[in-house]
Amino acid sequence: MAKPLYPFVAISGQDDLKEALLITAVNPASGGVLIRGEKGTAKSTAARGLIEILPQIKVRPGCPYTCDPDYPLEECDYCKSHEDVAPVLRNRPFLTLPLNATEDRVTGGLDFEVALSTGERRNAPGLLAAAHRGILYIDEVNLLDDHLVDVILDAASSGWNILEREGISMGHPARFILVGTMNPEEGDLRPQFLDRFGLSVTVEGVKDHEARVDLMLRREEFDSDPGAFREKYAPQTEALRYKLKEAKRILPSVRISSRVKNFIAALCAENHVAGHRADLFLAEAAKAVAALGGFFDVDEELVLRISPLVLAHRRRDVAPPPPPPPPQPQEEEPQDPEDPKDEEKKDEDQKDNEPQEENPPPPPPPDSDNTPEPDESPAPEPPENNRQDEGYAQEEIFAIGDTFQVRKMETAKDRLRRRGSGRRSRSRASQKQGRYVKSGPNLGQGDIALDATLRAAAPYQISRERRDLAITLEMSDIRERIREKKMGNHLFFMVDASGSMGARGRMTASKGAIMSLLLDAYQKRDQVALISFRRQGATVNLPLTTSVDMAGKLLAEMPVGGRTPLSAGLSTTHREVRNALIKNPLARPIVILITDGRGNVSLEGESKGLAPFEEALKLARAMSTDDRVKYAVVDTEEPGVMNFGLAVRLAEALGAEYFRTEDLKAQTLVDIVRQQM
Amino acid sequence: MKKNIPVYPFAAIVGQERMKLGLILNIINPTLSGVLIRGEKGTAKSTAVRALADILPEIEVIKGDPFQLSPDEDDDTIRELSEALGRKTGPLEVESRKVKVVELPVGATEDRVVGSLDLERALKSGEKRVEPGLLAAAHRGILYVDEVNLLDDHVVDVLLDSAAMGVNTIEREGVSFAHPAQFTLVGTMNPEEGELRPQLLDRFGLCVNIEGILNLDDRVSVMERRAKFEDDPAQFNLSFQKESQELTSRINRAREILPKVTFTRELLVRIAKFCLEVGVDGHRGDIIILKAAKTLAAWNGREEIESQDVEKAAELALPHRVRRQPLMEIADNLDKIRKMRTQGAG
Repeated sequence: MAKPLYPFVAISGQDDLKEALLITAVNPASGGVLIRGEKGTAKSTAARGLIEILPQIKVRPGCPYTCDPDYPLEECDYCKSHEDVAPVLRNRPFLTLPLNATEDRVTGGLDFEVALSTGERRNAPGLLAAAHRGILYIDEVNLLDDHLVDVILDAASSGWNILEREGISMGHPARFILVGTMNPEEGDLRPQFLDRFGLSVTVEGVKDHEARVDLMLRREEFDSDPGAFREKYAPQTEALRYKLKEAKRILPSVRISSRVKNFIAALCAENHVAGHRADLFLAEAAKAVAALGGFFDVDEELVLRISPLVLAHRRRDVAPPPPPPPPQPQEEEPQDPEDPKDEEKKDEDQKDNEPQEENPPPPPPPDSDNTPEPDESPAPEPPENNRQDEGYAQEEIFAIGDTFQVRKMETAKDRLRRRGSGRRSRSRASQKQGRYVKSGPNLGQGDIALDATLRAAAPYQISRERRDLAITLEMSDIRERIREKKMGNHLFFMVDASGSMGARGRMTASKGAIMSLLLDAYQKRDQVALISFRRQGATVNLPLTTSVDMAGKLLAEMPVGGRTPLSAGLSTTHREVRNALIKNPLARPIVILITDGRGNVSLEGESKGLAPFEEALKLARAMSTDDRVKYAVVDTEEPGVMNFGLAVRLAEALGAEYFRTEDLKAQTLVDIVRQQM
Repeated sequence: MKKNIPVYPFAAIVGQERMKLGLILNIINPTLSGVLIRGEKGTAKSTAVRALADILPEIEVIKGDPFQLSPDEDDDTIRELSEALGRKTGPLEVESRKVKVVELPVGATEDRVVGSLDLERALKSGEKRVEPGLLAAAHRGILYVDEVNLLDDHVVDVLLDSAAMGVNTIEREGVSFAHPAQFTLVGTMNPEEGELRPQLLDRFGLCVNIEGILNLDDRVSVMERRAKFEDDPAQFNLSFQKESQELTSRINRAREILPKVTFTRELLVRIAKFCLEVGVDGHRGDIIILKAAKTLAAWNGREEIESQDVEKAAELALPHRVRRQPLMEIADNLDKIRKMRTQGAG
């Protein structure tokens, strides 16, 4: 049924990838492989191809757990009761974990066919059981639900899957080679998951013309006649298979001297890796490479050569990298310098560490000089008597400043069920998705919790009339699953585009911050809306949409100039938020207000009513009463002597979280927590 | 029931040559893995895809099989799949029918797409029965997703999975089941409503950007034809019958030529250079250009790829593959990018 396999040996280039896969194939103790990188770089082809070169395994036909007949202690009930069935040789299993897999299918769960027909509780083995002694391949592992990643990584590192759910309590061996792929653009894996992968490789397309042509030719040849193509590479495949088998055989005798062990420890310490996993994985990987080469000893050179595989994804970004790099970085160069992303990141990190003033691109052109800086009017209500309209009249469009990783922002969990997808806040899910957390009464969703239903029906079995089944169910027995999953939020960006934002590159930095928030929104699959206010009123630049791209585009084009109608902005935002809530009463919008707080245009006109800022505060207080909406104020005012603290007061009135632009960065999370305590 | 709704003939669509070409190439060569049509509202996107049904070739299938298996499929698969449906395998009846266009509605739930367990039967009779989903129906056919950018995220994930592997795996609710699902993915979208995620984008072999026709005469003839069609669809279709037949036979001829198409190494070097200059992720771009160029040659009745085929193929295969940040727009002018990149480098 499946398409014919593309031979592993016929993959051109991608040497790191192939080596990493061979290492874990020889020595699964070196942890799984995480493949990061572009699309279309033979990631899954290579992982699949591995099956062919792994030695076959002995299995008793019919065994649901792929038990190893040579380890009678670990055998399942089936194998114990079928000792007479002779084991056969077959290919190792290759399992792809579909992203939509539910937890009971991954770990195993109640076998309800058996439960219904015999009333017996038995475990239906899941994917982890099926992958035992084979390969478990997870495409886009960074998109997988957190709780699934947790379960799988647990099993991968312990080699044992423990089940405690749906009234079943059991464990079975689950030793498999874990291969995950991810595209970093779609959001990163959490560091603790990253750390669990023993090796990581970054793949990218081949840059050489001739090599690319060869690649195309091979692919074309394979596509037109897979059989003949596989035939052609059969001898090479066979050779590699033999090499692997030999390596596996001598692996237990490979030794690491204490000198090399010390070297490994020092290497890990120098690279600022967290914990000790790196040391262990590096040692195991080194053994595997030695075994592949037919050596019984591991030397420093070998450790150095493969260290990037183990260290690349663990290295902590320590603020200033040690100025004179110790000898090993040169060895790592071959992998790194090709990767522009890394360099960019380093650049950014460095910039981030520098004081903000040096960072923003050239401040607004000299024209804006005639807009007096706030220091000329240090009165408590400066915005009002601050300046003339003309000074702000001209419009400018500022470039988008540097972007950065945004800290976590989510709404609190509640008991409402929602439909939707996304990756930001936890919520009860109304579709058949997400983690099964408990069961509840039947609401007609069709998502039946079998274990709970059976339990509910059990006490009445004696009194009920039997049909042909072991259990008689009635409607009142039916229980449904209550599931929890992450969903996207509605994010309303309310951007101050008044002239004061143009000063001192404030807008550039703010745009950078908003862009960062938008990138984050894209990764979390949020819906976004963009509202800006300047001159006399507020505009809805973009109504609520999933098109984060559009928001980004509009942001880039957003002009700045004019006075600050803060109240108008607030009321427009309120209207938009209210509309969103009418459309979807279960939504939990987050409003992010980016401003310096210097509101100087009131809704009513200045002659009557309140002073503009007071009016805004009043509006803000009124808006804060709806506790379905969460607010965050991002203050763009630079810290310094001339600080009016208006945004803080606004945040207080809104009941909002208050941030400075820098606070949004994930790295400064600790500081925020400290402040809040 | 649905069959009776008259379909606007493919041959009668005015203009939009690139879109038509993209679709035709995919019919000739299903390994091109689909086409994404990006464009404004009212540019005959959906009309064109639905009209495909008219000019599609015929295939042989096992009669009444919800998995659209070919009679050449190996016996084990056939048996396994009929068992999942609770059917007995008897002697196979074969029927010949046109390739199907299966439409995936935007609101489709995941279990409708991948298939699920027939729960009612499970509870009543204690049997596990699989209820095949849309992916089963689309095997060996065309899966058409209107407004593909509005598709629920998890449905997208499922599509990606099966498009990549040619197999649809159901792993949920105690069901573990797989069936072949090799389909040509055709998606339409209006970019104003949001972009696609890069991976899904990459799964589409070709991508065309279309816009409304600016030529006055053409616009008039669009209106005229539409009016005629609405007046009397049957008559209108009849008047285009000749064109439709010609198109079908040209497609069939191209399908025959395709395996014989040859190419030179120089051309491949050009493809590789082109991809490098433009800045494309991975190698799928190269491979698709080669395939598309071969198909183009076959479409034009030639047995050898010429450089114009490569140019044209690149135009179709690269716009959505050019490397960009998640929030950047999709390029519609390849040449510009190419010049920019090469100058920047030099």
